[in-house]
Amino acid sequence: MDAEPSRGQLAAALMRVAAGDGAALRMVYQDTSAKLFGVCLRILNDKSEAEDVLQDVYVTVWRKAAGFDPGRASPITWLVAIARNRAIDRLRSSAVTRRTEPIEAAGAVSDPAPAAAERVELAQQHQRLTRCLEELETQHSAAIRAAFLDGATYEELAQRMGVPLGTMKSWIRRGLLKLRACLEG
Amino acid sequence: MSANDTMDSPHDGNLIAAEYVLGVLSAAERREVERRLVGEPALASEVALWEERLIGLTDAVVPVAPPDAVWSRVERAIGTVASPPSVWQSLTFWRNLAIASATVAAASIAALVYIGLVPGARVPLMATLSSIAGQPNFVASVTATGNTLVIVPAALLTNDPRAYELWLIPTGETRPRSLGLIQPGQPIRLDIPSDLAGQVTPDATLAVSVEPPGGSPTGLPTGPVIAAGKLTNM
Repeated sequence: MDAEPSRGQLAAALMRVAAGDGAALRMVYQDTSAKLFGVCLRILNDKSEAEDVLQDVYVTVWRKAAGFDPGRASPITWLVAIARNRAIDRLRSSAVTRRTEPIEAAGAVSDPAPAAAERVELAQQHQRLTRCLEELETQHSAAIRAAFLDGATYEELAQRMGVPLGTMKSWIRRGLLKLRACLEG
Repeated sequence: MSANDTMDSPHDGNLIAAEYVLGVLSAAERREVERRLVGEPALASEVALWEERLIGLTDAVVPVAPPDAVWSRVERAIGTVASPPSVWQSLTFWRNLAIASATVAAASIAALVYIGLVPGARVPLMATLSSIAGQPNFVASVTATGNTLVIVPAALLTNDPRAYELWLIPTGETRPRSLGLIQPGQPIRLDIPSDLAGQVTPDATLAVSVEPPGGSPTGLPTGPVIAAGKLTNM
């Protein structure tokens, strides 16, 4: 399915999953697996590893759906967090080939066009993030994007961007603080 | 490590939560944060906040449909088979079904033209089969006698090697009945089995699922339902 399902629909489905409804898990899978597989593939850069992690993600969703709190997190955020955490843990623990290509600050900023049917509220929230990222220094926002999307450590980011480790930490932490101030401002 | 690494420690403004969410920590540091999360609700809240703040970054990730085998592995791992009939009663499925577009109009005309080639065709029943997201994928038309059906792809699904199976869910029922395999890339005419002909009526539902080559081995949909819609009188 190419457009994101609504928050309410997914949240309701997750609550049914928590009650042991296998058909609801199947719906959640149908609605979200392409996004989560894309996220895992991006981090792991390996189809077979990403498939293993994706399976693990939905088994985790099945077992931990009761821990999903719709008042605290949006369902897609909750699902993406599980997928990213699993994929990053796999990346750290395995011999998955690490990305070593340089990060192009300018290239990393360009996003593909958002899905046409994207919900307005979500779009506004994301536009705000994009705007706040644009207010950061280009290298800082490029490092933050690469860290989030690729699951790279400080060390890997420093190597890829050709700067000392301390500089990378400083870039990202300053970037995060400024980002938070901008998003809350 | 550079000499001007003034922000290395202590963590400024609880940035450890942000660093955890961002994914820059080592495996050992991640386990340490996760250990703390159990007993520190404030840290857990901060992690949840950062997850929500940064989720928009995933818009840059291109969605990729996983191989069908992954879902089968999930089912095996959880030790339950998600019963397909429940999908038909699902909360999300019947919403967002109505979307008009040029492709649907074109496919509708094609469906009418094709059905018009069937001898003895009268005013037919038609259905637009859309995805959950509202994307129209097929248009189907049925002769008024209810024994021939033509289904025309409205969305580009050509060259897909998987099998697409068409299902009828009679009015008031939830159990799908197979009408046979269809072609994602071209219009196809199907003869409706005689035992189902009387059930191809207005308000009955047509749906298309993705199946292994040769069609569903179980007699019920086993793969994702990519399109569905209700039959209506023209």
